[in-house]
Formats: sequence, structure tokens, C-alpha cells
Amino acid sequence: MNEGYQDPGDSPRRPSLPPAFRLVALECVGSTNDEARRLVADADAEDGTLVWAREQTGGRGRLGRDWNSPRGNLYLSLILRPECPLSEAVQLGFVAAIALCDAIGTVMPPMVEAQVKWPNDILVNDCKIAGFLLETVLSSDGSMQALLLGMGVNVRHYPEDARYPATSLRAEGAASDVDEVAVLEAFSRHFLKWTNRWLDEGFSPVRANWLHRAKGRGERIEVRLPNETLHGVFRDLDEAGALCLDREDGGDLRRIYAGDVFFAE
Amino acid sequence: MAEFELDEDLVKRLSQLLKDADLSEIEYEAGGQRIRVARQIHQSVSAPMPAAAPVASAHLNAAPAPSAESSEPVPAGAVTSPMVGTIYLAAEPNAPAFVQVGDSVREGQTLVIVEAMKVMNPLPAPRAGTVTRIFVSDGQPVEFGEPLLVVE
Repeated sequence: MNEGYQDPGDSPRRPSLPPAFRLVALECVGSTNDEARRLVADADAEDGTLVWAREQTGGRGRLGRDWNSPRGNLYLSLILRPECPLSEAVQLGFVAAIALCDAIGTVMPPMVEAQVKWPNDILVNDCKIAGFLLETVLSSDGSMQALLLGMGVNVRHYPEDARYPATSLRAEGAASDVDEVAVLEAFSRHFLKWTNRWLDEGFSPVRANWLHRAKGRGERIEVRLPNETLHGVFRDLDEAGALCLDREDGGDLRRIYAGDVFFAE
Repeated sequence: MAEFELDEDLVKRLSQLLKDADLSEIEYEAGGQRIRVARQIHQSVSAPMPAAAPVASAHLNAAPAPSAESSEPVPAGAVTSPMVGTIYLAAEPNAPAFVQVGDSVREGQTLVIVEAMKVMNPLPAPRAGTVTRIFVSDGQPVEFGEPLLVVE
């Protein structure tokens, strides 16, 4: 949606990021995750390499779904090379989600609060404002070469025909000087802060903060899996990051590792 | 056939042998009974990021994972799931599958995607060969270590 804001211009200011990051700034790319994958494969890109594009022509989300990617929003992929096993590295998606919530808190007016939706979406006023797409790069021996943390944040624009209602920071009251560069800078600071906390203290503080921000905890939700749809109460997030669903049909507590969550009206 | 008694000491000894010799699997057969012990050998990537504090779920790296094998043997050449998750046979719904039975694949080529906690894990072929069996269907939940397909 175009809201009549002036074009962001051809040369936004260069983001100022903490030294832990190495910025690869691109005008336009197919998908930042694909570009990040290429940088890992071809250039052995190091941990902290951040691929930022002002526009994506083939932006995608989970299951190859299109991610609408016009200029004015934030699109990035961060190359992470954690030394821990993959089963722990997936926790970085939750680290990123709460870091983005903190970042949104710093650029938005008071009283506007970001919430998380399992597993890695961000909501403002019940509408989707950001999403993550995490992908691994595995070697042929099965070891993890890198984890790619793809992120899209609706800053100026949002799709009106999305499968889940969407919004943008501007539509939710962000000041006119809040642009994708400001969000990128805030996210990078908070991601570094939360990553260090995760490295020092493990998943526990991340999980607690995530649960504090989680929409629908203790409420009835619907979870759509590829081959079935479940109804129940969203109880918890387990140590592995799975959603714990108390099923309505009286079955055991079900741990969900992949699926789409919908909330009751 | 006599009932298969799991000899824990034997499994432990095999596990130790496995570790000492730095092998990925070892099989012991006697009197019509067979025990296979396998583990994943992980090369950790060197990176500036220090290791995370350990949590309970570190199953991917779990060294020797004894699996006394009596019922369903993991077939030779099987590619197994590195995690609990959901299998996708194609990049997106309705797209052609990454591979089909009879396809020849090159090492590193994507075979399937396993999704867990929204992390998409494209599994690369461990070696060049031919896909001879596919055990899973699109959207199916899989367990850690479950055989997904065979590349021979």
C-alpha cells in the first residue's frame, strides 16, 4: 500500500551498525536469503554478515509463499555461524523475534506494543508487521555451515491481501523519520544484546521474554499442519522452541514443531 | 527365533569402540541377532560466536546414540532426518518434488526440506547416486533419525 509518502530517495543514509556486523548493502535482489546462501557457498561469508536489500523481486516466506517486497520496507538476511548444534541454533529465531520487538518499541510511540506469534512472526495491534524465514546451509555430511536469518519488516507498506491481516509501522503511528535504516540500526543493536544474553544464560531468559510477549497464551488457538488442523489451548513454549498445545479432544499435550497458528476471533 | 535380549554392556562396549576408532557406525552379528550402533560425527564450524550455554535438547550432536536394532533396520544408503520436524518434498506446495525415485542426484543436491520451529533445513545429498526409495510423504511429521529416503 502506498500512503503518499515521498519516495525514500535513491540514496538513503548508510546504516551505522555495531562492529559485530559486516554490511552488504544492495539496491535490489531476488531474495536476501538466496543471496546470503550464495555468499556462504561462494565466499565463505563470516558470522555477522548482514545482507540488506532495499527491494526484493522474489521475496519469500515459509513454504515458498511470496513476501511482498517494495521499496520502503526492511529486508535483510543475517548469516549466523553458531558453534552449537542445530537443535539449539533454532533458538536464534526467538532471539531475533524479541530483539525486533525491542527495536520496534524504540521507534514507535509509547503504548504501541509488539507481540510475537509462534513461531517467528511479529504483530502490532493483532496485525502482522514482520516475519522471519530461517534456513540452514548444511554440508553434505549433514553438519551445519550456517544459519540464515531472513527478516522482513513492513515499515511504509503492507499487503492488503495477505493470508493474515497485515500492517506497517507507519500505519501504526511511527514518526515520519522512522525509515528502514532506523529500524535496521535498532534491530542490530537489540539482536546483539539478546544474542549475548542467550550465549551467557541460555534459552531460559529468551523463552521467558518471548512468552511474556506471546499473543494468545492460555487461549484457544487453531494450528494448521500440512495434513491436519488442531484446536486447543496454547499452554507454553518448550525448551526446544516447540509450541505446547493442550488439545481439545482430550489427547496428550501436543508439541508442535511446524505449523500455522490462528487465534480465535 | 529366540527373543532378542538387549545386552546393554555390549552396546556400551560397541559405543566405546565407535568413539575410540572415530567410526560413524558399527554392527555386531551373532547367532542370528544383530546390534548396530551409529552416531553422527559433527565437524563444528569455526566461528567468532562462542557456543551457547547448553540446554536440554542438544540431540543433534549426541554422540554415540546406541540403537539396538531388532525390528526395522535402517536400510543401507538411507538419509535420515537430523531433527524432529515436518518433511517437505518440494520447495512450495504444488511445485515439482526435489527428487523422485529413479532420479540420479549429485552430492550436495537438495533432497527434501525438514522444517522445525520455522527453520527450513534443505537436506543435501550426502553422496552422488540414485534415489531408490522414498519413505516419507509431503507434510509428514518425522522423528530424529527416521529414514527419509535411500541414495545408492
